[in-house]
Amino acid sequence: MSDSDQQQGLRTPKKSAEPPDLLRVCGVTKSFPGVKALKGVDLHLKAGELLAVIGENGAGKSTLMKILAGVQDYDEGEVLVDGLTVRFKGVEDAFDKGIALIHQELNLADNLDVAANIFLGREPRKAGLLDKARMRRESSIFLDRVGLKVSPDQIVSDLTIGHQQMIEIAKALSVDARVLIMDEPTSSLSQHETEQLFKVIKDLASKNVAIVYISHRLSEVRELADRVTVLRDGDNAGELFRQEATHDNMVRLMVGRDISKYYALEPRSHGAVALKVDKVRTIQNPKHALSFEIKSGEIVGVAGLVGAGRTEMLQTLFGVMPALDGSMEVQGHSVVIRSPIQAIQNGLALVPEDRKQQGLVLEMAVRENMSLASLGRDQNKGFLNHRREQDISREMVAEMKIKTPSDLQEVQYLSGGNQQKVVLGKWLAMKPRVLFLDEPTRGIDVGAKQDIYKLMEKLAEEGVAILFVSSEMEEIIGMSDRAIVMHEGKLTGTLMRDELTEESVMQLATGTQTKPISNN
Amino acid sequence: MKKIYGILGVFTVVFILTAIMSPSFLTPYNMERLILRTSLFGIISIGVAFVIITSGIDLSIGSIICLIGCGLPWLLVKMTVPLPLAILIVVTLSLLIGLVHGVLITKLKLQPFVVTLCGLLMYRGITRGFTGDQTQGFGKFFSELRWIGVGKVAVPGVPIDTFGIPVPFFLLLMVAILASIFLNRTIYGRYLLALGCNEQAARYSGINTDRMIILAYIICAAMAGLGGVLFILDGNSAQPVVLGNFYELYAIAAAVLGGCSLRGGQGTIIGVVIGTALMQVLRNMITLVDWIPTHIEYAVIGAVILAGVVADEVVKRISASRRAAASRL
Amino acid sequence: MRKLIILSAALAVVLGGITACGPREQGKSGKPRFAFVTNMPASFWVIAKKGVEKAGNDFGVETSYHMPTGNAAGQKSVLENLLARGVDGIAVSVSDPANQTDILDKIAKKTILVTVDADAPDSERLVYIGVDNYTAGRQCGKLVREALPGGGKVMIFVGSVDQDNGRRRRQGVIDELVGRDSDPSRFDPIDKGVTGNGYEILGTLTDQGDPARAKANAEDTLSRHPDIGCMVGLFAYNPPAIMEALSQANKLNKVKIVAFDEDNDTLQGIIDGTVSGTIVQNPYEYGYKSIEVLVALNKEDTSLIPENKFIDIPARTIVKENVVAFWDDLKIKTGETEAGE
Ligand SMILES: Nc1ncnc2c1ncn2[C@@H]1O[C@H](COP(=O)(O)OP(=O)(O)OP(=O)(O)O)[C@@H](O)[C@H]1O
Ligand SMILES: [Mg+2]
Repeated sequence: MSDSDQQQGLRTPKKSAEPPDLLRVCGVTKSFPGVKALKGVDLHLKAGELLAVIGENGAGKSTLMKILAGVQDYDEGEVLVDGLTVRFKGVEDAFDKGIALIHQELNLADNLDVAANIFLGREPRKAGLLDKARMRRESSIFLDRVGLKVSPDQIVSDLTIGHQQMIEIAKALSVDARVLIMDEPTSSLSQHETEQLFKVIKDLASKNVAIVYISHRLSEVRELADRVTVLRDGDNAGELFRQEATHDNMVRLMVGRDISKYYALEPRSHGAVALKVDKVRTIQNPKHALSFEIKSGEIVGVAGLVGAGRTEMLQTLFGVMPALDGSMEVQGHSVVIRSPIQAIQNGLALVPEDRKQQGLVLEMAVRENMSLASLGRDQNKGFLNHRREQDISREMVAEMKIKTPSDLQEVQYLSGGNQQKVVLGKWLAMKPRVLFLDEPTRGIDVGAKQDIYKLMEKLAEEGVAILFVSSEMEEIIGMSDRAIVMHEGKLTGTLMRDELTEESVMQLATGTQTKPISNN
Repeated sequence: MKKIYGILGVFTVVFILTAIMSPSFLTPYNMERLILRTSLFGIISIGVAFVIITSGIDLSIGSIICLIGCGLPWLLVKMTVPLPLAILIVVTLSLLIGLVHGVLITKLKLQPFVVTLCGLLMYRGITRGFTGDQTQGFGKFFSELRWIGVGKVAVPGVPIDTFGIPVPFFLLLMVAILASIFLNRTIYGRYLLALGCNEQAARYSGINTDRMIILAYIICAAMAGLGGVLFILDGNSAQPVVLGNFYELYAIAAAVLGGCSLRGGQGTIIGVVIGTALMQVLRNMITLVDWIPTHIEYAVIGAVILAGVVADEVVKRISASRRAAASRL
Repeated sequence: MRKLIILSAALAVVLGGITACGPREQGKSGKPRFAFVTNMPASFWVIAKKGVEKAGNDFGVETSYHMPTGNAAGQKSVLENLLARGVDGIAVSVSDPANQTDILDKIAKKTILVTVDADAPDSERLVYIGVDNYTAGRQCGKLVREALPGGGKVMIFVGSVDQDNGRRRRQGVIDELVGRDSDPSRFDPIDKGVTGNGYEILGTLTDQGDPARAKANAEDTLSRHPDIGCMVGLFAYNPPAIMEALSQANKLNKVKIVAFDEDNDTLQGIIDGTVSGTIVQNPYEYGYKSIEVLVALNKEDTSLIPENKFIDIPARTIVKENVVAFWDDLKIKTGETEAGE
């Protein structure tokens, strides 16, 4: 305790005239079975301040935020609001103190309408009945504040992810939040939606709301943050003020070493055509037939705005949903793919976008997840091959630097980035010929991102054809040998490596320009 | 293994308490009968465990027991069908029922609750139809066949009249061992557990989830059919209106007691067997112990199931916080 | 939970509806129509059906026969369907006398109503046709006395004592054994033993209609009371379940069995000497008599109705001496063997 006081004293010398910090965390620890997630973390926050919290996957960011929002309890340490010690028993307690958390995963009842979601659990009542008129009236005020032009009676599931995110913020505002915590809010937003969100965040900060912002996108952090707190392995790794918060400085504190600029892509020679897609039409966008090729050893990026039909394209190619028509060839042989089983038999693999729903069995161990796709291949007359299962999973955990107490830990207890690595590991164990990746680095820290990029390159060198969807422009430009761009379900063009710029991609992605598809 | 500590604890407590409260409890005859009943109910509970693991449910078990249990003597005695043919018919019928359930659930995407609820109504109705609601039984015949239900195997040194291991117990043992191996050692068992937790992820991993689910319903119906045969071989007389009534609930309760989560993806065979044994000991206790009024039987059973589930949860929590404390150091 | 209740209620209605959709072409002929409604499905009632059909032929009327499932609720919807369709008279075995009086009264206002087998004394039914279960129980008690002349321990097995028949039979057995005078309204708690006359009635075990449970009850009794003298099974499936338990414990002939009703296994047991005897009602006669009475009442002929509104179809005692003749007759009535025409 005294130890952490000292540290605090060093970092922020108290001026007696100043009011106490709005929020202060001293030496908080938290253990989970097999992991010590927080080892005595300090944090402080003033009204109207925009604080970014960054750190590698599993550094403890989400855990700390859940503690601040009353979602989780902590073991030791102290949390102070307005200089007074508090201990939240639940989310309501945190609400009372004006602290609201927007989770890493959206938490909306998407069968209900916007107004109902904003007031969920705190519905205004009149004579014991829901006061719908008041709910609508007041929710439109909050919707205005976040700059969202939707009707309060729209059903949430009909909104885009970006809009749903805004609803979450409106909901937080409706409890009169003085501290708004956002855990990776932009990971599934389009560029435009992200900009919209930033406007709202800056506006809120100017109205004296303190913001805690968590992101793995360091460029966002640079744009927004007044101050950056870096966590590493459940501990404070340092603090940077706005002017010091350069990319390199942040990375150094996060990983504890320098990371040279990634995307070290050397021009590579490509092999024969690995996958040929010919006039395939998806259920979602039946108007547009998709045709393109990928050669083995080639990395092809798929760019486009959220909702451009990229995920649907991958899912159709992988047989998750049937194609309306068209044909496919894998390594020169025409194939029929109507289920993932057939896709896998033909050497395809898909790392899906939604890892919790589609990628992982959360209640199962890392090892069991890792082997799920390859069990059939490694079987011993129908029996499990425990030895091989263990070897592969250990190897993958080591190779991909997955942070877990052991490969017998249930995947649900891993941090988001490490979960993503498990999904990747599962497919790499299959040694696919064509690898589809849907937003492979969503929610992944810089270090891990680089690991994944290196992995992609290594696979490409081994002759795997890679098709990856990404909403991060940097990634598309940095990683693709060639990029294909989609707009509203249509392939609007191909860009070769030397043509790839932010402008050229955006022009195709917004449909303001088209360019013939070329496969070279 | 940890998963069964809770239920094992409750079972031990109930067992010891009953032994203390009733001198008749530990007699060889009573133990023999308990083993027999546990064997019959254990087999159907293991069957339903497979379905529960896929996060499904089978409400038709009792009616399948009725259909097969009444159908077998009806075929043999009333219709004088030769024994091998009769057995072929009941086996095919059970498997077919499971197949139909599974196909309706996976291909037509009907809800398991609805499909098997209709089964519950239909199979009993059909049985009452073809038997004309008449009591079915073997009378004094087929005593060789009935050995499977009523036979006993002597334990060395003990006169068989005092105590013998009922033949159905060996069937239970076989079913339990095969089921355990299937669930824990084969890739298909792993597939079942995985799809029970997250069917979508399993499908994305290239698992033929439909086929596995169908398989689970076939196993369940087959075990119910086997149960039906054993119940009639043991009881010898069955009325289509009542045979197997509510047995699906006993089976589901035993499976849940044994650690199967209705949310799917969890369950151990040994747990299910202990759960079944617990239910049987409870009912036995209520008749043997004089001061427990027999008509509160269901209250006692309900309370103990609840206690079992709570104990299970408590054990889980304690072991989780132990592990957390260990990593705090 | 509420959903479940609603669901099961709906089911009961549907089921009731299904069973009630019997022969639709009825009544076209212009003949009077009468309905016979049982309290629940049982093989017992299959015999009654023969009586109903025979009477229908004999008197030249149309009859329909309904076996509702789902207890009182199922029966209620069958009765309501019958009312809706219109019949000239109904004979019903009431499944829940205490609570069905109002629906019965409603029926009695619209058509001729008689009760059979299980009565609802407080309703406005015109007459009750059946056995006096208490008297039948005492007859059963006599059989126990003959089986165990020197006294001994007795256990009673029955589906339930909520139903009037189960309760009164049981009480009859107990009162006869301990030598009390007749009082059908007496009720000994089921867990309490009753002693007297050298007999110790250990208790009553119920099984809610589950034969496997009935067998388990008999087995548990053998565990708990190895010196049991006689087991009395009061519902049709109880004696076979007891026989099975005894035979598996090698105690057939060592423990006496006294039965009720005419299950094939029971009758075979009497022939073999493992069952001392059984008390049988006369379901065939229930069916026949019901229709006969309804036909008469429909012609406003009340000569068949006695002063006390009770037509007794006495129970019979079947023992080794008369079992073969009884069984042969039964087979003819149930159509198992063709009558020698
Ligand atoms: N409920 C839990 N049970 C067990 N371990 C947990 C639990 N929640 C988190 N952990 C572990 O605590 C550590 C910190 O996790 P946390 O989610 O806070 O990381 P994070 O910094 O938010 O990472 P990411 O950037 O990947 O979201 C991780 O090692 C994680 O596996
Ligand atoms: Mg996180």
